[in-house]
Amino acid sequence: MLRISSRTLRILGLLSASALVLAGCGKSSSSSSAAAGGGATTTYKLAFVGPLTGPYAALGLNIKQGAEVAADDANNAGGKIKIQVVPFDTQGSGAQATTLKDNFINDNGFLGAVGPTFSGETKAILKDFETAHMPMISASATATDIPSTVPGGKSFHRLVPDDSIQGTGVADYVTKKLKAKNVFYINDKSDYGKGLADDTKKVLEAANVHTSGTDQVTPGERNYLQAVNNVKAATPKPDIVFYGGYYSDAGNLAKQLKDGGAPGVFMSGDGSLDQGLIDSAGANGADGALITCACKLATPEAGGALGAFATKYKAKFNKNAGTYSTEGYDAATILIKGIKAGNTTRQKLLDYTNSLGTYTGIGKTIEFEANGNIKAGDVYVYEVKSGKLTELGTVASLTS
Amino acid sequence: MPARHPPSREGCTIHACFHCLTDQFWAQAFDGLTVGAIYALIALGYTLVYGVLRLINFAHSEVFMVGVFASLFAAHALGIHTGDPAKTGFALVFAIVVMMLAAMAASGLTAVVMERVAYRPLRRRKSPRLAALITAIGISLFLQEIFALRYGRDLLPFPRVMEKHQVVNFHGADIRTDKLLILVSALILMVALERFVAKSRLGRGIRATAQSPETAALMGVNIERVVVLTFLLGGLLAGAAGALHGLFYEGAQFNIGFVPGIAAFTAAVLGGIGNIRGALLGGLVLGLVENFGGVLFGGQWHAVFAFVILVVVLLFRPTGLMGESLGSSRA
Repeated sequence: MLRISSRTLRILGLLSASALVLAGCGKSSSSSSAAAGGGATTTYKLAFVGPLTGPYAALGLNIKQGAEVAADDANNAGGKIKIQVVPFDTQGSGAQATTLKDNFINDNGFLGAVGPTFSGETKAILKDFETAHMPMISASATATDIPSTVPGGKSFHRLVPDDSIQGTGVADYVTKKLKAKNVFYINDKSDYGKGLADDTKKVLEAANVHTSGTDQVTPGERNYLQAVNNVKAATPKPDIVFYGGYYSDAGNLAKQLKDGGAPGVFMSGDGSLDQGLIDSAGANGADGALITCACKLATPEAGGALGAFATKYKAKFNKNAGTYSTEGYDAATILIKGIKAGNTTRQKLLDYTNSLGTYTGIGKTIEFEANGNIKAGDVYVYEVKSGKLTELGTVASLTS
Repeated sequence: MPARHPPSREGCTIHACFHCLTDQFWAQAFDGLTVGAIYALIALGYTLVYGVLRLINFAHSEVFMVGVFASLFAAHALGIHTGDPAKTGFALVFAIVVMMLAAMAASGLTAVVMERVAYRPLRRRKSPRLAALITAIGISLFLQEIFALRYGRDLLPFPRVMEKHQVVNFHGADIRTDKLLILVSALILMVALERFVAKSRLGRGIRATAQSPETAALMGVNIERVVVLTFLLGGLLAGAAGALHGLFYEGAQFNIGFVPGIAAFTAAVLGGIGNIRGALLGGLVLGLVENFGGVLFGGQWHAVFAFVILVVVLLFRPTGLMGESLGSSRA
């Protein structure tokens, strides 16, 4: 009996191992330079560079899927030119981006890139885009110093204002609209979360907003009672609890603060702008939370091109468009329009992008400055209302 | 402007905020005990298996995770969905009991199957303990990925089953219904387990096997049955912990077992691994120490402080606070 069962086990093991290998083979994508049997159509590739697995996967997926909807729109519109978005998973790390970059930099089939998603990975490989004369449009990288990493560079573009502009926007909203006097800052110890909380604190302190206290929490750990007690004990009583971190922990923290009867309005940044915030907070756990983001969130109710995009996105991925999905769509569409206009080499597409002028995206009006930054510095404010992320408007419109 | 606010904890300098500790002593103590009770329930699973097999079942955190998911599905089966109003009265008691039982059954079954599939074949072949350790890591990853693939990697929303009413405010401690539920049910379960192992015939078998498997076998104890029973008991308690965790934190995710699993293992070692009362004490002490350390030095030291205490305790009491094995305790 034992012999048989162990042999069966071995055979099973072999079978499953070979199944894995076969599955791996099946997955390897065939790179297409010309569509087979489709007449005289030509396929051009855009690289999506950003995290698709790991803790930041959700953000990367939002952008990638936004770009894929853009490619669908372009391909469904007909014409001889087809667009393919090929994803490169950096897991959000600059080191991983550096390892992957040769796959698209050295392949002339790639004319441009949507991404990289984060500032760190953008800085890590921006030089390579530059030497390849390849245009890149990031939907989400916000570090203020990116353009200065390659002085006089032409490749870099982004669709969101940088951190310093966002910081000023948040400060305006907090001081002029909320009229808050005291803020308690919590962050999740990550580069992003700590940076956001510390920068916000710096900006708000400069605007004479007092700091009630600071604390840190461990992402993924669900027990935030200690921070809740800290907020409750803080004097003076905070008007706002500002959290620097990502949506899953933000939702949990917001809920525990509310359940614990802690004072202050919960406020956070772009990393928290996701349906996942509400999932982790429970139905009404995050109600009243305010989130600022330079991104324009697409919801089916928005109407117009933005609403149409949200509907298509939902239909394709069975998931609501998230943070930066809109920017992912706009970034890809700018490049696609350039390609369709006949700019089918990297240099031509780069020149096209740099002389774009004023472009009406589905989210906002886009115009690049010489260094690749976006001209409009709009920061949007969202509020969680009965379990839904609702846009209140831009900081400028809310404070005027 | 009042001067008493927690100092900023930037950079490498560590400020101990003693008035924070005195201000928040009762609040942090009560919350620490609540979380510690969950740690203790999970820690019992580590301790029981170690006591009998001298094996650290690192997949125990996934037994707990299965319990969290099972309690969520039980809630769904009862027709409680996200956004529904919280239950009250008899419906609430019924929902909690069903969720607890479902979680205990699922976790108990997982633990027993795990023993049968992952550990028993190795034990039969008298393979070294290191092999069992690797299997433990393997089965842990296997279970995590199964749940991640089936239910996604994002947090699943959990309905609010019970309203979180404050019962009383004791010197700032937010004594709430859900925290009391955790403390009371954890204590009942732990006392029940302790009585079972100390008094019942099966419990005597567990203690005999822990003392000396060979002698126990010669005396007619069915070792295999004792081992299965041990895994089952650990699984049941982990399942109960899973349901309580679900009710309290309201979320289920494939990796939800990792943090409490590590903490519970630490608690088991702190209290003296292989010792049932040690696991209880270790869990509660760890919950308290984490919170007190965190409030003294800032939340980023939450876990660090717990491990510092562990190292210090082991320096002076290498076998943990209670320091006995399962077998020699209360013959």
